[in-house]
Amino acid sequence: MRAGSLRLPGAAWRAGLPAAAVLTPLVAWPLAAVLWRGVAPDGAPSWEAILAVAGDRFYWERLAFTTAQAVASTALALAVGLPGAALFALVRFPGRGLALALVTVPFVLPTLVVAVAFLQFAGPEGWISDLLALASLPRLEPRGTLWAILAAHAFFNLAIVIRLVSGVWANLDPAPEEAARLLGAGPVAVVRHVTLPVLAPAVAAAAALVFLFSFTSFGVVLVLGGPGLDTLEVTIFRLAVRLVELPEAAILSLVQIGATLGTLGLYAWLQRRIAAHRVQRPDRARPLSALSWRARSLAGAQGLLLALFLGAPLAALVWGSLTVDLGGPSLAHFTGLLQETSRVSFIAPADAVRWSLTFAAAATALAVALGVTAATAVARTPGRRGVLLDAALMLPLAVPAVVLGFGYLTTFDRGWYDLRGSAWLVLFAHTLVAYPFVLRATLAVRRSLDPRVREAARLLGAGPLRAWRHVELPLMARGVLAGSVFAFAVSLGEFGATSVLRRREFATLPIAVFDALGRPGGLGRALALCSILMLVTAASALLISRLRYREIGEF
Amino acid sequence: MFSFHRTAPALAIVCGALLLGAAACGDDDPRELAVLTHDSFDMEEELLARFEEEHDATVTLIEGGDANEIVARAILNAGNPEADLLFGVDNFSYHRAVEAGVFEPYEAARRGELPAELLAAFGGTRELTPIDYGFVDINVDLEAGLTELPATLEDLADPRWRGALVVQDPATSSPGLQFLALTVALLGEGRWQQFWEALRENGVRVTDGWTAAYYTEFTRNGGESPLVVSYTSSPAAEVFFGELDEPPTRTLAAWPLLRQVEAAGVLAGAEEPELAGAFIDFMLSADFQAQIPGTMFVYPALPGTPTPGWWRWAEVEVESLALDAGAEEIDRWIREWTEIMRR
Repeated sequence: MRAGSLRLPGAAWRAGLPAAAVLTPLVAWPLAAVLWRGVAPDGAPSWEAILAVAGDRFYWERLAFTTAQAVASTALALAVGLPGAALFALVRFPGRGLALALVTVPFVLPTLVVAVAFLQFAGPEGWISDLLALASLPRLEPRGTLWAILAAHAFFNLAIVIRLVSGVWANLDPAPEEAARLLGAGPVAVVRHVTLPVLAPAVAAAAALVFLFSFTSFGVVLVLGGPGLDTLEVTIFRLAVRLVELPEAAILSLVQIGATLGTLGLYAWLQRRIAAHRVQRPDRARPLSALSWRARSLAGAQGLLLALFLGAPLAALVWGSLTVDLGGPSLAHFTGLLQETSRVSFIAPADAVRWSLTFAAAATALAVALGVTAATAVARTPGRRGVLLDAALMLPLAVPAVVLGFGYLTTFDRGWYDLRGSAWLVLFAHTLVAYPFVLRATLAVRRSLDPRVREAARLLGAGPLRAWRHVELPLMARGVLAGSVFAFAVSLGEFGATSVLRRREFATLPIAVFDALGRPGGLGRALALCSILMLVTAASALLISRLRYREIGEF
Repeated sequence: MFSFHRTAPALAIVCGALLLGAAACGDDDPRELAVLTHDSFDMEEELLARFEEEHDATVTLIEGGDANEIVARAILNAGNPEADLLFGVDNFSYHRAVEAGVFEPYEAARRGELPAELLAAFGGTRELTPIDYGFVDINVDLEAGLTELPATLEDLADPRWRGALVVQDPATSSPGLQFLALTVALLGEGRWQQFWEALRENGVRVTDGWTAAYYTEFTRNGGESPLVVSYTSSPAAEVFFGELDEPPTRTLAAWPLLRQVEAAGVLAGAEEPELAGAFIDFMLSADFQAQIPGTMFVYPALPGTPTPGWWRWAEVEVESLALDAGAEEIDRWIREWTEIMRR
């Protein structure tokens, strides 16, 4: 125990125990089993295979490409998202809650459907190309280009930046900015020297998540990429499904896990250094009418830009669900969903909605429990050990979905733990991809809190548990709720692991979409199901945000 | 006032209990048959209910990805299978599964009625029973305004059809692999590689799977490729789903086609091997065979099976070729193809 500190290393490890107890059997064990099987098919590590992969230039190029596109995607998402976060944090405009809920929608949408909808208006045969052609300009060709991948990553991940950053920004005490302005600082200097330092933990948390999602990107790259534009995750999938190259797939999985954990370690180390504290206040946003005309037009332009970037593909999707193959707007695809066919492939949309909501609610509850204990453990573990713990706890997001899926099938396969075909495995998988959001959001908030608050409670005689429950937890609640919106959304949209573990009896909405797309004549159905998924997501985000605003009233 | 930290554990318990209840339901039936199959599997619900009633069993369908993925799953769980029966293994993917000892032999009652070429597609092994077959060919959008159609495979590399064709990546797509195998079978070693190089130079598009090719790249669905690698039954499916009198597309049928045969096999170590065998016989029953075109859009294996009227648009009059290659050979094609297309 360090002098002058109330931190107990023992308490930190105790707080970390529940997380370890859950993660070891659910991630570490199946992962280790399947990777060992791949790396050591004959019981001992196959050095030949390892050296072959290490000496193959193609794999190095994949690693370089994966990293480069992830950095560029993160930069683009920040460039578009940070001004958007400012808009949501600082301006109280009509429909703000609804707009914030809609921002979450792209995050859960199945890639292929968004790609289809997007190409219908931004592809070579789309409306934009038609307009360009009228002006004798070349038609757009986004497919197979790096730009398509970057734009798609920014589109899907924008919600992370906007929600995480605006959540912290909206509740900062504005007094320091006002003081700086009074002392003669210009608006740029105020943002740079006063606002950004306090926002840094939230920005870094958002950047880390966007980087992670872009680094392990699968659907976007598979659909919009093409030969030569594969990420590691896609390369691993290609190798693993044909099974012949399981050793290569396992080695590359280790590379991907190593690379992501390394990045996360770096981020965790950085985050400890940039933590800054400021008093939390209720929503500081000012109504539009209180702004100067310049600020108002800036906010208007920003809003328009966001609406275009996020709204256009969504509008194209809804429009598609009302028109594709129908010759004009019609509800036929939606009414068609309800007509029970006489086939076993029929998935009732109402059942899919119910299962999606059940998994999302249960996974969010578990993710909150897991995420909060994990955040407490990380925050209390000092030095390098804390950095390592933080990175290790993000492991589920670094693991290729197909590898974890195969791991589950070969690990939970005997006796009482033969869980193949059980809805529990789907819930576990959803919890695993959802809780890192709670962990990140909670940590970001906790780090912007003054640690002396807890120490004061302890000095005033509160036991460690009491101090945690009555001081730390209420202060972290905002982060927990921000994380919950994502946990819920991630579960609603989860496809990779669910597709390996799925059963028709508990098919979720994304599974129903995928199923419709794979069958002849299913595009209209898929688009209609996607519109329903959008509605469910927006409604849930709106509902969870309601809880959020009431909670803030306590500050 | 809402207090999250007090409700969260309770919520978790309630949700967990709900799920447990849901998962526990249906475990009480006396016999359960699990069928591991691909994503495109479908059949008449009423027919399945009849099987369940006759055998006092419940049937669980496990849709485990495409043919390659389900074979991979079966191999990973060899000897301790997650299902009793595998349906959807084809003549492109069966070698490795048989080598890994995934199946046990089963002699279907109507095996003798199956055409010899379908049995030969699996080297005559008794472990697999052919259920249906299909062909992959180039589909043409008749409304795209093409004045001339390719007469030979090599024509596709001609500038007249520059950028007109979209194919699927054989590493991730079953029709993609079938089309690659067709080019190997028709052109032979050395020439097929040259052909794909020429195709690449002629602006061929490559998608990861059939869905993206057919729904985003094909002119019929708003793309810009009037030629797409798809099934010979696709024009019939267009008629069926669009409730049309005539298909807006057709297959080229300009050269011999490679037959893809799908089979079922009892998994070694199955809990219900006898029931699995009964299901194979059921799949060869007249009723099951007759509903194959309308549910899975492939051709029934048993000759003389009556088919629906719209299925006439799926009839093709070309010579059919048999695939003659093992697993290593197919892997090599895919590797070389990827090398060529990557350049």
